[in-house]
Amino acid sequence: MAGKPVRPTNAIDQTRRMLSLVTYLRERPGARIEDVARAFGITEDELVSDLDVLPMCGTSFRGGDLLDIDTDGERIWWHNPAALGADAAEPLRLAADEATALLVAARAVATLPGLRESDRQALLRATAKVETAAGEAAGASARLSVTFESEGGVFADVDRAISERRRLWIRYYSPARDEVTEREIDPIRLVSVGHTYVEAWCRRSEARRTFRLDRVAEIRILDEPAAPPEVEMRDLSQALVQPGAEDPEVVVEVGPGGRWVAEYYPHDSADELPDGGLRITLRTPDPASLRRLALRLGGDGRIVAPSDLADSARRAACEALAAYDGAEAGAPGAAPRGGGPVHGRADGRFDRQEQGL
Amino acid sequence: MAIAKAERLMNLALCLLGTRRPLSKRELRECIEAYMETFGPDRGGPGDDSFNRMFERDKDDLRELGLVIETVENLDGEVGYLARRDSNRLPPITLDAEEAAALGLAAKVWQQARLAGAASGALQKLRAAGLPEDVDPYEAHGALEPRIPVHEAAFEPLMLACRDRRPVVFDYRKATAAQPAARHVEPWALECWRGHWYLAGWDRDRGAERVFRLSRITGRVRTRGSGFTVPVPDVVTVRETVAGWAGEIADRSARIRLRKGAGYPLRAKATAVRELGDGWDELDIPYGHGLDAWLVEFGPDVVVLEPAELRADVVDRLRAVAKG
Repeated sequence: MAGKPVRPTNAIDQTRRMLSLVTYLRERPGARIEDVARAFGITEDELVSDLDVLPMCGTSFRGGDLLDIDTDGERIWWHNPAALGADAAEPLRLAADEATALLVAARAVATLPGLRESDRQALLRATAKVETAAGEAAGASARLSVTFESEGGVFADVDRAISERRRLWIRYYSPARDEVTEREIDPIRLVSVGHTYVEAWCRRSEARRTFRLDRVAEIRILDEPAAPPEVEMRDLSQALVQPGAEDPEVVVEVGPGGRWVAEYYPHDSADELPDGGLRITLRTPDPASLRRLALRLGGDGRIVAPSDLADSARRAACEALAAYDGAEAGAPGAAPRGGGPVHGRADGRFDRQEQGL
Repeated sequence: MAIAKAERLMNLALCLLGTRRPLSKRELRECIEAYMETFGPDRGGPGDDSFNRMFERDKDDLRELGLVIETVENLDGEVGYLARRDSNRLPPITLDAEEAAALGLAAKVWQQARLAGAASGALQKLRAAGLPEDVDPYEAHGALEPRIPVHEAAFEPLMLACRDRRPVVFDYRKATAAQPAARHVEPWALECWRGHWYLAGWDRDRGAERVFRLSRITGRVRTRGSGFTVPVPDVVTVRETVAGWAGEIADRSARIRLRKGAGYPLRAKATAVRELGDGWDELDIPYGHGLDAWLVEFGPDVVVLEPAELRADVVDRLRAVAKG
C-alpha cells in the first residue's frame, strides 16, 4: 500500500479524533503508540501531536482536573482516568456527515462486481449495523450515491490472477487506433476511479501500463507466474495519464457545440473565441489518435495544427462519404448537432492510458 | 502564542459533556483557558461581542462533529448549555473482524477532504466503541483499491445544501452554450457515475426537475436563505437521466456495415452480426442519442444502411469534416 495520505491539520478533525482517543485510551492503559496510530488510521506524528494537546484539556470548572496523559515515546499512560467522571468517556454517536461518508462509501464498495462474496456479505452486515447505530444521522446519506463500474467477469479473473500471482493473456481494445491487440500482462493492482482499471507490467511493451476493464475483449489466466519488476506505487487519483512536456502539441478550435472537449481532454490552455467557442491547446504522445476526435466534432470544431492530422481527418471523411455514393447529395443538410461525447468513449483523460505511462 | 483551536474545542466539548446541569456562557468562559487568555473574565465590556462570536462558532463546530448541545433557560432566565450523555452516546454496536475490515476499506475510498475526514472520524468513534482492529483492510480485500474521485469545486457546497435542504444559485454552462447562465435550484441529491458527479434537483426558473453536471458549474455556489418550495420526491433518479444523455437508452435499432477487424466496441454492442464475405460485416446495433457522432469516429470503416435519418445525420457530419 502507498503511504498514508497527507492531511492538513484541521481543528475539527483533530477534536473529533481526540474525543475518540480519550474513550479508547481509557480502556487500554499502556497502549502502544504504534498500535493506536494504526487503529486510528493516523501517523505516529499526528498521534503525538494529539498527546501534546490532551494534557491541556479537562473539565476545569470542577476543580481543575486536567487529563494527566503522557507517553514515554512508546506507550501511553493516563494517570487519572477518573478525571472525566464515570460516564464522561463513552463512545459518541455518529454525526450526520460521518454517517454519510461511511455509509455512502460502504454502499458504493458493495456495488463492485469483483468484490468477494464473503466480503460483500460482511460489508452489507456492517452497513446495516452502522445504519441502526447512526439512527437519524443516517438519513442524509440517501442524498449522496456512488456507483462503481466494472466488468464483472474480467474483474474476477484479474483479482484472482493478482492474488495467485499469475500472468494474464488479454485481447485489449485501443480506441486511439481502433484495434484489438493481444498481450500478456503481469497484473499489479486494481484501481476504481469511475471506471475500473488494472495496473500491470505489459510484457509486449516492457513497460507499466493501465488497462480499462471494459476495454478487455477477452481474458485468460495463464499458468506462468507473474513477475512484474519492483515498481514504486504511484498515486493514480488525479488522472491516470498526464501528458509529457515533450509530447507534440495539437491545437483544436471548437464552436460552442464542441466546448465539451475542454472538459474531457487534459489541456495546456483553452482560450475563448469571439463566437463563443474555444481554442484548445493540448499535448499527446500520439497525435494520430486524435483523428477520431476531429471526425466526432463534425461541424463543431476542427484541428488547426498539426496540418497532417487535419488532412488525415478530411481524407477519412471524404473516403467515408464515397461509400454513400452521392445518394444523399441533395439531402437537406440538417444542422450538425451538438452532442457531447458519449461517456466512457471519448473520455480523453483516460483514453490513452494504455499507451504511455 | 494563542492557544490552538483544537485545544479550545476539546475543552468546550469536555465541559459540556461532563456537566449534569446547564452551564452558562459566563461559567464556560471562566473554566476554559483559551477564552480567558484571549478575552479575560466577563466584565460586560466591548470584548464581549468577539467572545460571543467565537463561542457561537465553536458550538457550531462541535455540532458539526456530531455533538448534540442543548440550550436550557434556568429559573432566573439565564441561558445554559449542556451535552447530555443520553443524547450523545453511541448505541451499542458489535462488529466482527470481517465487518470491521470491510468498513476499514470503505472508510478509505473518499478523495474529498471533508468526507475523508468524516469517514475516518466515524471509524475512530467505532474503534473507541470496540471495533476489532487486527485486520489490515487491504490484506482482507486483495488487490482492490476503489477510489471515489471528487475534482469538482462545487461538490462540497452542494453536498451541504442537499444535506440541509437549502436552495442554491450557481452559474451553469450547458454543454453547447458559450456563456454560463444563473440557475436557481432546490438541490435533492448528488450522484457519482463513471467518475463524474451530477446534481438532481428542482429548477425554479424552468419549474421542472433537472440534472446538472458538476463540472459545468462555473464560479461559486451560493445558498439562499429560504426553504424548498417543492416536495422532495422519495426516489430521485439521476443515473437514468444521464444514461439517456449518453445514448445508453436506445429505443430503436440501426443497421450498419462495418469493416472486418474494425470497431470492436460496436461489435460488443451489436445484437446481430452477419458476415458479408467481402471484407465487411453487417451489424444490428441499438440506436440511441449520440449514435451518429459515435459512428462518424470510425470514418470509412462504417457505412450506415438504415434508418435513413441516421444515415443523413452521419453524412451531414462527414461533409462538415470533409469541408475542413
